[in-house]
Amino acid sequence: MKLAVFLPELLRHLFKKPATVDYPFKKLAVPADFRGTPYLSPEMCIVCRACERDCPAEAIEISSVNEAEKRFKMIIHNDRCIHCAQCVDSCPTTPKAMKMDSLFELADDDRHKLKKDWVYVRAVLKPKAAAPATPPPAAEPKA
Amino acid sequence: MSFQIPIGPQHPALKEPISLRMTVEGEVITDVDMRLGYNHRGMEKLAEEKSWLQNIYVTERICGICSHSHATCYVQGVEKLMELAPPRRGLYIRYLVAELERVHSHLLWLGVAGHEAGFDSFFMYTWRDREIVMDLLEMISGNRVHYAINTLGGVRRDIDEGQKAKILEGVATLRKRSEYYFYIGANEPSFVARIAGVGYLSKESAIALCAVGPVARASGVARDVRKDDPCAVYGELDFEVATADTCDVLGRVVVRVKELLESYKLIEQMVKGLPAGDIAVKAPRKAKPGEVVSRYEAPRGENIHYIKANGTDKPERLKVRAPTLANYPATVEMLRKGFIADIPLIFAAIDPCICCAERTVTLVAAGSGEESVVRMSDLRRQALARHQNAPVKRNAVWPL
Repeated sequence: MKLAVFLPELLRHLFKKPATVDYPFKKLAVPADFRGTPYLSPEMCIVCRACERDCPAEAIEISSVNEAEKRFKMIIHNDRCIHCAQCVDSCPTTPKAMKMDSLFELADDDRHKLKKDWVYVRAVLKPKAAAPATPPPAAEPKA
Repeated sequence: MSFQIPIGPQHPALKEPISLRMTVEGEVITDVDMRLGYNHRGMEKLAEEKSWLQNIYVTERICGICSHSHATCYVQGVEKLMELAPPRRGLYIRYLVAELERVHSHLLWLGVAGHEAGFDSFFMYTWRDREIVMDLLEMISGNRVHYAINTLGGVRRDIDEGQKAKILEGVATLRKRSEYYFYIGANEPSFVARIAGVGYLSKESAIALCAVGPVARASGVARDVRKDDPCAVYGELDFEVATADTCDVLGRVVVRVKELLESYKLIEQMVKGLPAGDIAVKAPRKAKPGEVVSRYEAPRGENIHYIKANGTDKPERLKVRAPTLANYPATVEMLRKGFIADIPLIFAAIDPCICCAERTVTLVAAGSGEESVVRMSDLRRQALARHQNAPVKRNAVWPL
């Protein structure tokens, strides 16, 4: 037993740089597999609704816009999303139609502004042939 | 002359709402009454309405600190129900994350113990080092708190050679730091004097009151699910159950630091002996009718999930017994004969996770003390009836 065993460690830290970063000005890089926000690549989506069925937070909503033209609308409710990336795991296409990006600054002043939707034509994928070579036509994300 | 002191439901010494009613004589506590239910979330009812797969994420959100332990406990049970055999590599990664989580939970608790004992620099340093393990978890799973690494039949993410090297490097740093904390704990007289002899729980009462986890182990009861009922990989790994026999808060600190060192040992063994192969097998969407009890040693103690299946894609019943609930009777015993000033320290020493342990709401009649359990629909009916019969408050105004 002796007094102030912690003191050398405390004194050493007087000469160290702070452990934190200047957040809004400097940002730490997120790891490669970071689970950010889900987004859709509409050119790949075959509307199997696996993501809608498996989403634990019921954040994905797929509805039919025009049955004859096979036009569909997907809404991702980012206010409900729990960022588990189960939609990415459930997506059966290769490459995946559902993906996660690395954004983490998602805050907004209204939860309804966090919604994202896509109106697109259902993709018809030939088995293994339809690689990402064909750039999509009607695929513009509307915020 | 005895007084009753209410602590909580909202109190600066408590991080979550719980009501402790202390009967004191002078400074000494003679009796303790605990009231739970301020943080009930209806998780078990929610689980009955979600599919087996979605429930992994529901159970993961029972606790924010030991999120992986609830998900693992649930997944273990469902895999038994579905008769799935996860591949060995998947199991190794699952329990590797489990041990990393134990490290982060124990480092967090050490900081809290230092803070409650008035040793705030200890708190700052343990929490700084906790960032190392949090970064490792984020690297493996993609998130800091809810790792979401478990899936039915294995895990969702593989680890590569670069990540293995980073884990080993991080663990080596953490081991050096933990050994230093062990030295500090043993040599800083003011810290030891503050926690020694506080919150005494004898071995006999620890067994009689069914204490679990580090609380039981600090009273000399070597009870650990990883050793007693080795699930999956723990049977083939070399580790010891950390115990102490001082039966007080000092013992609980010692047990947790020892467990940290054991966890580093386990992590190194698992990373070095990681078998090759797949990480998951495909799980069916439905489970055959049946029931299962799943046990898992969470950082706070034994976690039990009871799962009942009825042949559909949803569970019929999911019952969760969080370790904190099992430690409440022992806490009452620990607080008795203690001082008022020791309440935060003793209560923090069980590492309480209050909202994990909230499972039901009991109504207690103020006059007679009679207890009753009411359905939500009945409560709603009562509320509506009361509102209809009450006279309209005509002079009520919006205050702003």
